[in-house]
Amino acid sequence: MWLVSAAAQAAVSSSKEIADLSLEELSGIEVTSVSRRAEPLSAAPASIYVITSDAIRRAGVSSLPEALRLAPNLQVARIDATQYAISARGFNNAIGNKLLVLIDGRTVYAPFFSGVLWDQQDVMLGDVERIEVISGPGATLWGANAVNGVINIITRSSSDTQGLLAVAGGGNRERGLSLRYGTALGDSGSVRFYAKTTNARHTDNAADTAVADGTERHQLGFRADWNHDADDFTLQGDTYRTRAQYRGRFGTFELTPITSSGSNVLGRWTHRLDSNADLRVQVYFDHSERDDALLYRPRTDLGDAEFQHGLTLENHRLVWGAGYRRAQDHIAPGLFFGFVPPSRTLTWTNLFVQDDVKLASGLDLTLGLKFERNDYTGTETLPNLRLAWQPAAGQLLWGAISRAVRAPARLDRELRLPPAGPPYIIAGGPDFVSEVANVFELGYRAQPTPDWSYSATAFLHDWQGLRSGQPPPNAQVQNMIDGRTHGVEAWASWQALPTWRLSAGLSTLKKNLKLQAGSTDPDGPANLGDDPDYQWSLRSAFTPAEGHEFDVSLRRVAALPKDAVPAYTAVDARYGWRITPSIELSLVGQNLFGKEHAEFGSAPARSEIDRSIALWLRFTL
Amino acid sequence: MTNRRHAATTLWWRAVCIWFLWPMAVCSAQTERVAQEDQVKAAYLYKFLGLVDWPPSSFEGDQSPFVIGISGAESLADELMPMVANRSTNGRSIVTRKISPGTSLAGVHVLFIGRQAAARAASLVAAAKELPILVVTDSDDVFAVGGAINFVLVDNKVRFDVNLRTHEASGLKISSRLLGVARRVQGATL
Repeated sequence: MWLVSAAAQAAVSSSKEIADLSLEELSGIEVTSVSRRAEPLSAAPASIYVITSDAIRRAGVSSLPEALRLAPNLQVARIDATQYAISARGFNNAIGNKLLVLIDGRTVYAPFFSGVLWDQQDVMLGDVERIEVISGPGATLWGANAVNGVINIITRSSSDTQGLLAVAGGGNRERGLSLRYGTALGDSGSVRFYAKTTNARHTDNAADTAVADGTERHQLGFRADWNHDADDFTLQGDTYRTRAQYRGRFGTFELTPITSSGSNVLGRWTHRLDSNADLRVQVYFDHSERDDALLYRPRTDLGDAEFQHGLTLENHRLVWGAGYRRAQDHIAPGLFFGFVPPSRTLTWTNLFVQDDVKLASGLDLTLGLKFERNDYTGTETLPNLRLAWQPAAGQLLWGAISRAVRAPARLDRELRLPPAGPPYIIAGGPDFVSEVANVFELGYRAQPTPDWSYSATAFLHDWQGLRSGQPPPNAQVQNMIDGRTHGVEAWASWQALPTWRLSAGLSTLKKNLKLQAGSTDPDGPANLGDDPDYQWSLRSAFTPAEGHEFDVSLRRVAALPKDAVPAYTAVDARYGWRITPSIELSLVGQNLFGKEHAEFGSAPARSEIDRSIALWLRFTL
Repeated sequence: MTNRRHAATTLWWRAVCIWFLWPMAVCSAQTERVAQEDQVKAAYLYKFLGLVDWPPSSFEGDQSPFVIGISGAESLADELMPMVANRSTNGRSIVTRKISPGTSLAGVHVLFIGRQAAARAASLVAAAKELPILVVTDSDDVFAVGGAINFVLVDNKVRFDVNLRTHEASGLKISSRLLGVARRVQGATL
């Protein structure tokens, strides 16, 4: 049934729970014939792609950024052994700031630049339930910075991850070992613990010189869930540590290894008031630190509390809520950059309401409004209007108009190069305000037969006040670039045979950005990310026999303009063999046929990604 | 208790749904209970164990487990395995066995023939006929060959038909409670 959306699939009960139903109850359950192994299509009026846990396993990936390559509406560029530039709809760079990333409801971007340090983020991939990738603004719900997209990483409830899972293996590029154990906790609860350690080998640059980016990483965590009648409670936490290689000297300056560490703990309580209303409260604390002698050494403590109330009134579904977030950081200078002042406490508060109105059968209107206050620009208004029409079962036509803002971060206002000034070569702009996007989207998706589905979205972002610079010295960050970006995101999936699924994805992007009159920025829009005009991918998932899986993927990424990176094609493959129900062996090859290629950065110092071969053993008990 | 717990868990998912996807206006669509087809079929297979009587000779001993054989339905087997891992019926634990071509059916109590095994359904049915095995099928064609229970999708709900004639020789007794939930019962003697 088409109404079965990604969210409804999220509402799918666990197998264990279904087994508790009576025969009569089973015969009354509505089911979706969209296979769990398929990309779950959704009735959401947004460009949403869902990466399933099965797709992650069959891709043979061992890190979160590599798993994100499965989403056709994301651009994933590997910078070196562990660092990535990831964006949706362009503006991609190592300090990309227009994408919001959540792991089980916890925002993982660093508040000092509103971006994600991907080498600090990881999860136990075997416990991931799904990753929802929403390209386009999610500002009304998620707030400022969800301008170009939201990545929502959702792990399984601990009740669904009982027993032992061990994954071990490695190859010429990396080695890894992860363990998870889940058990019951009294009558109504469950808990799991996990530990993961990985070791990534260094890359080489174009001159075949070793780059000092080999990194080892250790992470521990837990998640516990309880259900009591109308109440559910989740408590989870993680702690991690990373250490890269010694980097030698930069002149007389000693470059110590890049290290990072962090810990977080999150509690979430949901309570059902009656059949039509529920409450949700979530609180978390997150500590992180990073030591990069070249760039800077941030140390951040943040707390976040959110409240939400949802209720259904006839044909309205109303949700409102509020949130408070406070980040206290200290950023010690590196060789290149410092922050003035080095320590700062910032707070954000928000209030939102959204109404989903059923106008007629098959016609849904969503109106949302969020007010978010930050310490730099005061209150930002983030409205959102979406219309969804289902002309027939299996078809959805939708359109959306949204206003999204990327609020200033410390980097925009308080960065200094070099840290020892004044005078400075470059400094944050005291007058820097929010970058604003008015976004128009139109999408269509259909599932004409159970075996065949597709989705296409066209988007236009109208930008005002994007970040610009000035000629050094004494250059200040300004808001003097305007323009438009537009493009298409499309994907399709075809179950050619019961044992063979083919899927394809495409995204295109055109950027027409210009400096405002009066700007003296010498580089102009080139500093706003380095994006390919297009990328496409093909995937084949074949099951030659029960217990055997053979997966191949091909992706093509067009050239990046500045810094110039040539277009590349990469072929990845995996063969998996389930020797017994509890033991699976898989051989994974990445970048199999091309020569090594760069994905981001400036030659000749940038890392090149070469062929990798790895053997993995997965054991469950 | 189980029902209450199930309601609470549903709510939990509903809350997650509202939180994560609410701006996309999808949660209102989620008014009915929804599950994966394979999950529901797997749950049925588990439930059938308690609603059918097998002759004692079909078990090695008092403690020996029920065996559910799955052929041609990898994804269903993947649902069933964790579902029954820590459960028991009538004091017996439950084992899921994937039936590949050539695997013996000895010791199997329920045999599910999925659509991917349609080509070898006739030989599976023939082999099962000699043994006290409840044959569950997933298509009308295979059911006609000699299934006892056949899943059908009716209004997006998984229902099942029963053919009583196939059990006459095998010594299985299907409870009236199971028959009461069936959509159609063939071969009933009035």
